[in-house]
Amino acid sequence: MTVWKTSLRNFFAHKGRMALSAVAVLLSVAFVCGTLVFTDTMNTTFDKLFAASSADVTVSPKAAGRADDMPENGRPEALPASTVALVEKADGVKSAEGGVTSMSVTVVDRHDKNMGSETGAPTIAGNWTRNDLRSMEIVSGHAPRGPTEVMIDSDTADKHHLKIGDELRTIAVTGDIRAKISGIAGFTVTNPGAAVVFFDTATAQRKLLGAPGVFSHISVTADSGVSDTQLKKNVAATLGTTAAYKLQTQDEAAASNKDSMGSFLDVMKYAMLGFAGIAFLVGIFLIVNTFSMLVAQRTREIGLMRAIGSSRKQVNRSVLVEAVLLGIVGSVLGVGAGIGLAVGLMKLMGSLGMELSTEDLTIAWTTPVVGLALGVIVTVLAAYVPARRAGKVSPMAALRDAGTPADATSGRVRAGLGLVLTAAGAAALWATTRADEAADGSLLLALGVVLTLIGFVVIGPLLAGVVVRALSAVLLRFFGPVGRLAERNALRNPRRTGATGAALMIGLALVACLSVVGSSMVASATEELDRSVGTDFIVQSSTGQLIVPQAAEAVEKAPGLEHVTNYKVLAAKLTNPDGSTVDEHVTAADPTYPRDLRRETVSGDLAKAYGKDSMSVGSDYATLHGIEVGDEIAVAFKTGGTAGLKVAAITSDDTNVDQGAMYLSTATAQAYVSDERMPTNTIMFASAQDGKEKEAYAALKDALAGYPQYKVQNQADFKQDLKDQIGQLLNIVYGLLALAIIVAVLGVVNTLALSVVERTREIGLMRAIGLSRRQLRRMIRLESVVIALFGALLGLGLGMGWGTSAQRLLALEGLGVLEIPWPTILTVFVASAFVGLFAALVPAFRAGRMNVLNAIATDG
Amino acid sequence: MTTAVTIPRHGGTGERTAVAARARQVVKAYGTGETRVVALDHVDVDIARGQFTAIMGPSGSGKSTLMHCLAGLDTVTSGEIHLADTEITKLKDKKLTQLRRDRIGFIFQAFNLLPTLNALENITLPMDIAGRKPDAGWLRQVVETVGLAERLKHRPTQLSGGQQQRVAVARALAARPDIIFGDEPTGNLDSRAGAEVLSFLRKSVDELGQTIVMVTHDPVAASYADRVLYLADGSIVDEMHNPTADQVLDRMKDFDARGRTS
Repeated sequence: MTVWKTSLRNFFAHKGRMALSAVAVLLSVAFVCGTLVFTDTMNTTFDKLFAASSADVTVSPKAAGRADDMPENGRPEALPASTVALVEKADGVKSAEGGVTSMSVTVVDRHDKNMGSETGAPTIAGNWTRNDLRSMEIVSGHAPRGPTEVMIDSDTADKHHLKIGDELRTIAVTGDIRAKISGIAGFTVTNPGAAVVFFDTATAQRKLLGAPGVFSHISVTADSGVSDTQLKKNVAATLGTTAAYKLQTQDEAAASNKDSMGSFLDVMKYAMLGFAGIAFLVGIFLIVNTFSMLVAQRTREIGLMRAIGSSRKQVNRSVLVEAVLLGIVGSVLGVGAGIGLAVGLMKLMGSLGMELSTEDLTIAWTTPVVGLALGVIVTVLAAYVPARRAGKVSPMAALRDAGTPADATSGRVRAGLGLVLTAAGAAALWATTRADEAADGSLLLALGVVLTLIGFVVIGPLLAGVVVRALSAVLLRFFGPVGRLAERNALRNPRRTGATGAALMIGLALVACLSVVGSSMVASATEELDRSVGTDFIVQSSTGQLIVPQAAEAVEKAPGLEHVTNYKVLAAKLTNPDGSTVDEHVTAADPTYPRDLRRETVSGDLAKAYGKDSMSVGSDYATLHGIEVGDEIAVAFKTGGTAGLKVAAITSDDTNVDQGAMYLSTATAQAYVSDERMPTNTIMFASAQDGKEKEAYAALKDALAGYPQYKVQNQADFKQDLKDQIGQLLNIVYGLLALAIIVAVLGVVNTLALSVVERTREIGLMRAIGLSRRQLRRMIRLESVVIALFGALLGLGLGMGWGTSAQRLLALEGLGVLEIPWPTILTVFVASAFVGLFAALVPAFRAGRMNVLNAIATDG
Repeated sequence: MTTAVTIPRHGGTGERTAVAARARQVVKAYGTGETRVVALDHVDVDIARGQFTAIMGPSGSGKSTLMHCLAGLDTVTSGEIHLADTEITKLKDKKLTQLRRDRIGFIFQAFNLLPTLNALENITLPMDIAGRKPDAGWLRQVVETVGLAERLKHRPTQLSGGQQQRVAVARALAARPDIIFGDEPTGNLDSRAGAEVLSFLRKSVDELGQTIVMVTHDPVAASYADRVLYLADGSIVDEMHNPTADQVLDRMKDFDARGRTS
C-alpha cells in the first residue's frame, strides 16, 4: 500500500521529468502498432479482393502458374472450350463459364501514356464474365460487344480522366488492340491499384491467348447447398484424369493469390518491426538514464525511507512500480498513436497510387496487447538496474549533505568486460574479412556487429572520457571558460554521457554501415559495368515485363544501329554428365551478345558456345557437377524438345552481371522450340554504327515511343539508374532509422533537461557570480554538441567498421570495390553537431530563465 | 514606522566615493492585495567603503532580501540602489550580470563552488567568465592570505567545509570587487572553522581595504564587523559600531523580548 502511494506520488510529482521517457515509449510502441495495423489492413484488403474475385471453383491448366506468374512467351496456358461444356455437366454445377485473363499487357491512351499503376500493381486484361460481377459492377456504359470496344475499371478511368468513347490501345503479345471505351466498371471491394480492362470473349481469346475458342480458366458456380469442396470433387470426377488441370476452391484460390502478396507483406512487416526494435533499444538508454537520474536526485529521500524502516525490496519495488506506470502511460498513448500512424501510412500509400480504404482498417485484439506488453516490459527492464541501485542506498544517505550525487566512476570490471567484448567483436569482424565462404562470413559478421556494439555500449563511459576530452581539445578551446565548463559537465558523469551518446551511436552506426555498403555496391557495379559492358543501349521494361514482339521489331528497325541482340530466358531441365538433373533457366541470345557483355571464361571459347548445339555454363555449376569443356548436357526445354548440347565454354562466376548464366544461341533454341512457344525477349541490347551514337539513341527512343513500358538507356543512364535505385533504397532505410535517431535525440534532450534540474544550484551560483544568460545557454549547448558528436563519432566509426567488413565479405559475391562515402559521413557528423544544438534549445532556454535567487535557495 | 537613517561615515581613501553602496526608500513586496507581504519597507542604508558591515535580524526580518537587492540578485518594488556611482535598480539583466561579475563578490552559506572545477579554477572563475586575466601577484597574495596554497589542485569534494568556504572567500577577493556580500558564510561551519573564515574576512578589510557586507544571525560572527545593522519587519531598527559578541547578543535578546511583548 505504502509502496503504491509513494510510487504514485513520485510518479505524478515528477511527471515532467518522465515526459520524454514516455514519448520514447510512445514512439516505439506506436511504430510497432502502426506496422501491425497497417499490414493487417493490407491483408484484409487483399483477402477481400481475392475472395470476391474467385469463383466457387476455378479450373485452370496444370501448367499455369499463379495469376501473377508471367508465362515466358506472354501467352497464358489455355483450355479448349470443350472442357467448359464438360465441366458444366458435373453434379452440383449451376454454371461454368470460360474466362480469359492475361497480365502480359500494357494499356496506353491516345498520347501513349501508360494507364497502369506506378506502384507495381498489375495491369490485367480479360473477358467480361458473370464471375466478374462478384467484385465489380458496370457504373456507366455497357460491356464490350465487339473487337473495337473495351471496358475499363473506374479507378483507372478517374485517375486518367478517361470517359466513354476515348480510344485505348492495349499492347498484347499478339499485337496491339485499338478499342474505344464502351463502359466503365467499378470495384465493389477496395482495389489496391490494379488497372483492369475487359474485351468481349472472342477478342480476348484471339488477342490475349493467341487462339480462338480457348480459355485460360473456367469459373464454376455451385448449385445452392453444394459446398465448394464437394463441387471440386464432382468437377474432378467429371474431368476424369485431373493430371492436366488445376482445381481450386474459392478459399484455395484466394490463398494461392495471397501467397505472393503475403510474403511481400511479411517482409515489409518484419523489416518495419525490426526498425521499431532498434527504436526500442535506443529508448532503453533513455529510460535507464531517466531512472538513474531520478534515483540519484532522490538519494536523500530514499535514505530517509530506509532510515524509517522501508526494506530494500520496498524501495526497489517502488521504483519499478513507477516504471510500470510510465510503461502503461507511454504504451496506451502509443497504441493510439500507432493506429493514427497506420491511417497516415494508408493515406500516404493512397497518394502514391495504392488505394487502401479506412473501411478495411483492421485492429486485431493482439495489436494493443502486444503494444502494451512490449512497452511495459521494456520500460521495467530498463528501470531494473536503477531500481536495484535505489535499493542499495544506505539509510546514512538521509543524513549526508545531498548536494549533487557523487560522480559515478566507471568500474574496472566494466572496463575489462567492455574491452574483452570489443576485442572479441573486432576479431570476429577481422575474421569476416578473411572468410572464404559467404555463409561462415555472415555468421562472423553478425557476431562481430553484436559484440562490438555491446562492447562499445559497455565501455561507453570510458570512451566518453577520452573522446570528450579530444573533442574539447579540438572544438571547445575556442569557447574559453564556457567551453571548459561544458567539457567538465559532459565529463562529470561518464556513465550518463556514455549512455546518451550510445543511444545516438546505434542509429548512426547503422546509417554509416549501410551507406558504406551502398556506395560500395554502386562503385563495384560501375566498375564492373565499365569493364564488361560493350553495348551502347539497353532496352528493358521498368517493371520486369517481357518485351512484346512488336516492340522488339520496332527496336530492330531503328536506323543507325550496327547490331541488335535478342536475349531470351527459357526454363529447362538439364541432365548433366554426372547423371544429376536440375531445373534451370538457360539464356538464348544472339551471337553478338559476347560483344555486348564481355565475360571472362575459365576455359573454352565463349564465341563457340553460340555455335550449333553448343552452350556455356558458369564456373560454379561446372565445379558442382564436374563439367568440362566438351561434355554434353541434355537440355529439355519446358516449352519444346530435348537437345543434347555440347559445353563449349565455362564462364567465370566472379561477376555481378549474368552470374551463373548458361548461354546458347537463339538459333539453337529455335531448333527445339516452336516460334509460337518461343519466349519473348526479356531484354535487348543494341549498338550504334560508329559515330552515330546520338542519332541511334534518338531513333531508338522514337521507335519505342508507343511502348511506354520500356525504356532505352545508354551506359550513362544505366549507371545513373542503378545509383538512383540504391540511393532510393538507402533513403527508405534512413527514413526508417530516423525513428531511432529521433528517440536518441530525445535522449539527449532528456539528459540535458534533467541535468539542468539537477544543477539548479550550480547554475544559480554561476549566474550570481556573473555568468550571463548567453554564456549559460552556450555552455549547455556546447555540452549537448559534445555529447552528440561523441555519439556520432562512435557510431560512424563503428558503422564504417561494420560496413568495411561487410564489403570485404561481399567481395566474395562480386562486391569488389570498397568505397567509403566521405561526403555522407562528414554530413552526418556535422549534422550531429546541429542535432546537439537543437536538442539543447529547450533545456538551455529553461536554464536561462531560472531565477537566480530560487536557484540559490533550492535545497538539496 | 521607525526608519533609522544612518549617517554615512566618511572613511576610506582617495578619490573614490566613501559610500560603496546606497539604498534609498527601498521597498520589496511579494504578491498583491490580501496576500501582499512586504519584505523591505522603505529602507535607507549606506554601506561605507572599506568597512565590514553585518546585517542581523530574526528570520523573516528581510535581512537576506536586503542583501540580495543590494547585490543586484533581486529586483526592488520601488526605491533606488546605487553601487558606487551606478544606479542598479534600473539595470537590465545583462548589465546586472556584468556588474555582479566585475564589481561584486559573493560568499554563500553552502554550495559556493562548482564541483567540476578545482580550487584554483573556482577562484579565478569570475575573471575567466569575464575573459580577464587574473593579476598573478594579487592572486598569490589572496591565496596565501586564506592559506590555500597547498590545496589549489583539489576538487571541492576533497576539501573540508571550512576549506571550501575559504576558497569561496578567495574567489570573492581575487577579482578585487568593489564590495563582497556574504550570506551566512559561516552558517554551515563549526565554531573553529567559522572563526577561521571570519578572521580572513576581517583581515581582508584591514589589510586589503575590502568592503564587506555579511548577513548573519550569529552574534559571534557579527562581532567581527565594524558595524552591525539590525533589521526587523523589513526596516532597519538599530545599529551598533565596533560591537563585541556579548553586546550583540544582549541587543538581540532585547529585540526578542520586545517582539514578544508587542
